[in-house]
Amino acid sequence: MIKIPTNILLVDDEKDFVEMLSLRLEEAGEKVTPAYDGKMCLDVLETEPIDVVVLDIKMPGMDGIQTLMKIKIMYPLVEVVLLTGHGTTETAIEGMKLGAFDYLLKPADFDDLQTILADAKKKKAAQDERIRQAEARRLLRRGGNI
Amino acid sequence: MEPELIRNIRLLLVDDEADFRGTLAKRLLKRGIAAHQAGQGEACLALLANHPMDVVVMDVKMPGMNGIDALHHIRERHTETEVILLTGHADTRDGVEGIKAGAFDYLTKPVEFDHLLSKIIQAYDKILGKKQKIEAVAYKARIEQQMIATERLAALGTLAAGVAHEINNPLAIIKEAAGYLSSLLQKRELTDMPRKAVFEKVLQKIETSVKRARIITHQLLGNVRKSESILAEVDVIQLVEETIQLVRREAEDKDIAVALQAADGLKPIWADPNQIRQILINLLSNAIQATPEEGRIAIQVESTDGGISIAVIDNGAGIPKENLEKIFEPFFSTKSPGEGTGLGLFVTREIVDKFGGTVEVVSRMGHGTQFTVQIPNRR
Repeated sequence: MIKIPTNILLVDDEKDFVEMLSLRLEEAGEKVTPAYDGKMCLDVLETEPIDVVVLDIKMPGMDGIQTLMKIKIMYPLVEVVLLTGHGTTETAIEGMKLGAFDYLLKPADFDDLQTILADAKKKKAAQDERIRQAEARRLLRRGGNI
Repeated sequence: MEPELIRNIRLLLVDDEADFRGTLAKRLLKRGIAAHQAGQGEACLALLANHPMDVVVMDVKMPGMNGIDALHHIRERHTETEVILLTGHADTRDGVEGIKAGAFDYLTKPVEFDHLLSKIIQAYDKILGKKQKIEAVAYKARIEQQMIATERLAALGTLAAGVAHEINNPLAIIKEAAGYLSSLLQKRELTDMPRKAVFEKVLQKIETSVKRARIITHQLLGNVRKSESILAEVDVIQLVEETIQLVRREAEDKDIAVALQAADGLKPIWADPNQIRQILINLLSNAIQATPEEGRIAIQVESTDGGISIAVIDNGAGIPKENLEKIFEPFFSTKSPGEGTGLGLFVTREIVDKFGGTVEVVSRMGHGTQFTVQIPNRR
């Protein structure tokens, strides 16, 4: 079976980390776009069709939580997985209340990450599907009125 | 002063006139003070050498060593003893000289008994006051020490969390780099790569070591994610055997025999296997480091009322008494820099505390050390 790659946007100010995790995720058949801060993350979202954003919480400038809030306002269908090397699980949980799909502690287990990414993508796909059906119903109804 | 307190006064009468001493002693006894007696300055000092006194009442004029000379000796050797001098009616100069030399006071003969008694009580009061002051100072010093230790621990805790966080980032990079290489080795084009098995083995080591480091940093952050702290049925014996395998190389290098003594019919317990393993690794590698060449280490596992008890016993150098209180503090280590983090036992106790268990240490210098961990069953 051909695996349909997940479009992942990986956001972390540690460039080496982004590079290594990207290599690994791509090796596992995913498509990864790197970004190194919150602003770059939003820029990418504007142009690329992203399924899941993997977002480091602790970043200079706009941090992960602020970025998450912007994403959820501007691109509510994009799922966000938070990464934290920080001792602040509380922040991560706060992030989930703000609409993040899940969070992982750094260094995260790769299998865990893959599972969460797959689940996030599934959720997004289901949501996309529901929206498509709603659109279709709307079109049908309109068609019936003609 | 209370009669009971007066009875506590250790009093020595020094006078060459035996009748005077005797009469005085009798009257003192009626008031509750059993006085010792000496007839000369020399005898007084000899007695003091073995029987510490609170108050010495001493005649100045005595054959042999006089009262002033004896007073000088007392001031030198028995700083806590107070001296009341008795002088002749015409010899007040002796009294003044005595005060200069450190006497508590002087009285002129003939002495009025109640006056003498009140002086003795005053002298004793002074001693009690001094003692209380010393105790108060010592108490304050002790409290201050404790506060410093507490603050130091708090500061270290903050530092430890900061360090752990900073380490997590490079650790994540190492982990993904090694993971990527591992996944490359699985590729078909690398099936016949030369020495592929060695690469796989080494990468595996990197990954397991990162996992170990990660457990420690997460412990330090006090922040193991709930779902990561798994509860499972743990076969402790199996975990001990695995851990012995992990440290086998270190033990073999020093010809140390590691023996597992397991009680019969051990039941598995419900706990987090990773954390039990962490405890075992910490205790066992400490034991190996503390044990000399050809030493012995025993691991005793037995069921207890509510769970399991694991003892790691070595016949190594032992832990000095002054270190026993500190070994569970973060960053306390007697190993050379680079050999120990000073976190092993700290983390061990953190884990055990979280399980609601206990960790105890018994150590004898030159004989060895025993660490005993009790872990309750979590089911």
